[in-house]
Parts: sequence; C-alpha cells; structure tokens
Amino acid sequence: MIPEGVDTQAECAAASKQDKDMTEHTSFIKGEIEKAHRTVFLTPWPAWVSGVFLAFLALLIFMWWHTWGIAGGFANWGDWFFYRLGLYESAPQRGVLLNGMSVSNIGLLVGAFASALMSRQFAVHRAPRWEYGKGLVGGGLMGVGAAIAAGCNVGGFYSALGMLDLGGAMMMLGLFAGAYLGLRYLLWEMENVGQNGQGATGPGGKSSKDWSGLAPYVGVLVFILMLVAFQVYNWLGQTQMGGLLFFGFLIGLVMHRGRFCFANAFREPFMTGDSTMMRGVIVSLMIYALGVAAMKWAYIQPPGAGVYHPFWMGSLIGGVIFGFGMLLAGGCASGSLWRAGEGHLKLWLALGGFFLTNSPTGRLLDQSGAREILGGGVFIPDIVTWQGGLTLFYLLCAGIMLLLVWNEQTEKFTAF
Amino acid sequence: MTVQENLQNIQADHVLDTKGLSCPMPLLKVKKTLKTMKKGQVLEVHGTDPGSKNDIPNYCEKHGYQFLGYEDHPENYTRYFIQIE
Repeated sequence: MIPEGVDTQAECAAASKQDKDMTEHTSFIKGEIEKAHRTVFLTPWPAWVSGVFLAFLALLIFMWWHTWGIAGGFANWGDWFFYRLGLYESAPQRGVLLNGMSVSNIGLLVGAFASALMSRQFAVHRAPRWEYGKGLVGGGLMGVGAAIAAGCNVGGFYSALGMLDLGGAMMMLGLFAGAYLGLRYLLWEMENVGQNGQGATGPGGKSSKDWSGLAPYVGVLVFILMLVAFQVYNWLGQTQMGGLLFFGFLIGLVMHRGRFCFANAFREPFMTGDSTMMRGVIVSLMIYALGVAAMKWAYIQPPGAGVYHPFWMGSLIGGVIFGFGMLLAGGCASGSLWRAGEGHLKLWLALGGFFLTNSPTGRLLDQSGAREILGGGVFIPDIVTWQGGLTLFYLLCAGIMLLLVWNEQTEKFTAF
Repeated sequence: MTVQENLQNIQADHVLDTKGLSCPMPLLKVKKTLKTMKKGQVLEVHGTDPGSKNDIPNYCEKHGYQFLGYEDHPENYTRYFIQIE
C-alpha cells in the first residue's frame, strides 16, 4: 500500500501545476486580448481599410434591406419634429425607430461612440461660438443640398455611384466644386474674421482622462446593449430593422477607426494635395459596385434598385451646396454622425441644422413639382449594357486615381 | 530618456493655438503659419481635435517638414512640435 503522504504530495504537485497552467492560460488570453485591442482600437486604420469594410457593410445592407443612405433618416427626424410642432398636417409613415435609414443612423452614431470609448478618444469637445454657428449653417446647407440631390454624400454619391446611377457621378463633380468653394471661404475667413471671433482661444475639450481606463469596458457594454437591442427588434417581428441598427453600428465603428471622412476626401486634394482619403473612397466604391453588379445582374435585387437620383441638374446643384456645407460643418452626413458620437458638440449642431432644413426643402420640391426639372435616375447599364457600364465605371475610377496622384505630385489644384 | 523629456526642452519660435477647433481648421492654420516661418525655426501647435494626431504628422511627412513629436498636456490638449528643414 502506498503511504498516504506520497499520494498527497503528488496530488499537491499536480494541483499546483494545474494552478500554474491556469494562470499561464489566463495571462496568455489577457495578453492576446490586449494585443487585439491595441491593433483594432489604439492603432489608427488606414483609410482604405475602412473603405474595404465599408463596402462590405454597405453590400450587406443592400442584401438585407435596400440601398444604404443617411439623409432619408434625417428627413424622417425633421418630419417628426415639424409634425409635433403642428406645422405638418400628417404624421410620417414610420416612427424614428422603424424607419430604416433613421435606425442605421442611430446605429452609426452609437457605433462611433462605442469605438471612441474603446479607443479612449471619447470626450465632450466644446468649440468657440463662431464654430457652433458654422456647424449649424453648414448642416443646414447639407440638408438643402441633400434634398435637391435626393441624397447626401452616402445616398446621393457613394450609394448612387455604387448602384451605377449616373446621378452619383454628377454629384461627385458637384461635391468637388462645393468643397473647393468651401475651402476658399475657410481661407477667406481665416484672413478676415477677427481672431477673437474664430476662437483660437476657445474652450478646449473636456477630457475623459479620469475614467479613461474604464472607457473600453463601457464600450463593450454598449456593444452588448446593441446585441440586446437587435434581439428586442427580433422579438417584435422587426428583425430587418434590428439588422440595420447593427450594421449601422459596425459602420460607425469602421468609419471612426479610419476617421473615414468624405469632407476630407473632397477637400484635401485642394488643401494639401493629399488624396489618401479620396483613394480610400474610390477603393471602397470599386468593391461596392462589383458586389452591387453581381446582386443586380443575378436578380437578387432588382436592377433599378437605388436608381432615382436627379441626373443631372439636381445631383450637380445639390452636390455643390452639400459640398460647401460639409466644409463649413467639418463633416459630411456620415462624418457628422460619427464625430457627434465621438463627442464633438459642433457636429451635433450640424446634425440639427441638417434635419431642420432637409425635411422642408424636400417637401417644397415635391409640392412645387421642381423635381421634374431637376432630373431623374439614369441606370448606366441601361444605356451601355452591363459590360459597357462596368468597364466605364472602372475606367472612371482609374482616371480619378491617376488625376489624384498627379495632383499630389504637382499640387496643380491646391488652393493656396 | 523619454520622448516627452526631449520635447520639453524645445524652445518654440512660434506657438499656434487651435484649441477647440475641429477638422480642417487646425491643419489649415498650421499650413498657413508654416509658410511664414524660416528655416530651422520650430512651431508649437496646441490642439484638441483627435484627428490632428494623424493629420499633422502626415502633412509634415509629405511636405518636407520635420515632425518632432507630440505630447498630451495635463490640461486636456495636445502639443505638437514641427521644425522647418
């Protein structure tokens, strides 16, 4: 018979080895989580990486529901606002939590908020009064431009071009023109508006420093709440809306991590010559359009889906006004949403300006019959077949890329 | 020696305050100010926009300015140091 002591000793040794293994495993997992956190949330993403993910998510939304857009959600908020004030006679068809674009907008904002927490970048960023004014006016101009172009930088340009709607290309021209004019204005303002007005001495950001160690945990909590929200939608028989909320959330995260910004994309070629962001947008579009073509060609979605943008006048004029507005506000429709999520109060005002003007301008255009004059959707494959349409689209992308890189080297288009 | 100690010894020739301003105003002002400065001089920028941490180093790298580094100030803004080469 084996003496008891030996047995216990062996057991002890085994147990302590197990303990050691456990701590090793735990610290291994902890280390790997920290590494992953650093890679995803503490290191900035290159613009094109965000662009690739964005195309993927926009395609998921196209399969799940229909074309991704943002301004439609703001229009819904504006409709409710003016209806509650008693200025509109009829209530909007769908509530804020059941309108697809409104729901994905909310998801985008919350996603950026969670991402900012995870990256320890969330803070309430206050701005000088002058800048708040620019946010409100810029947002208001974006609302008007998006109403005329039947979409913002996302619905009117990114998604429209991805859907191979010619209006998207026209809005791109308009956005470039508007961004150029907006930049000229900012330069003029810098020279001529008093320093006290534009607030180099303005209040800074309120830091989240005291709780920045905790912020990532709050970020995880927000993510879990998002999953719960999806499940609630699911129970209520609104799975589609729940999915849009979740896809919007992921878009917010992806855009925040790459600081993916259409205002930057259209502005930088004129400001510093840098085309990194614009090339990210083009890469994104190249993937998006290919996926859309596959889905439409295979009749997973109807070929005419998302093709309604007012070519050419509406898209062009709307693009110019929108482009000018986004330079004043310092963010486009999507950029304002994710920056609002990051805590910039100026961009909250831009969102306010956006829905206050977008809804009434849209109504005015509908009621006055002006939409007829602005133009209608032109589906590129209808004119030049699928093969021709895709070839033209990729030639356009390659052409813009070349032009951007050439401008980067020569700075021919930079404004000062 | 840490980078921060290094930065603290820098005597800037010009200080540009962009606190509270958001994209693109900080970079626009940096670009304008750098154009007025002479070779060898150092510009110190104060800012609160998170985007500047990418924008300013990128801009310097592409346009031949020496980016010396940045540090977060305890009073919730970031100081950036740029030298004209």
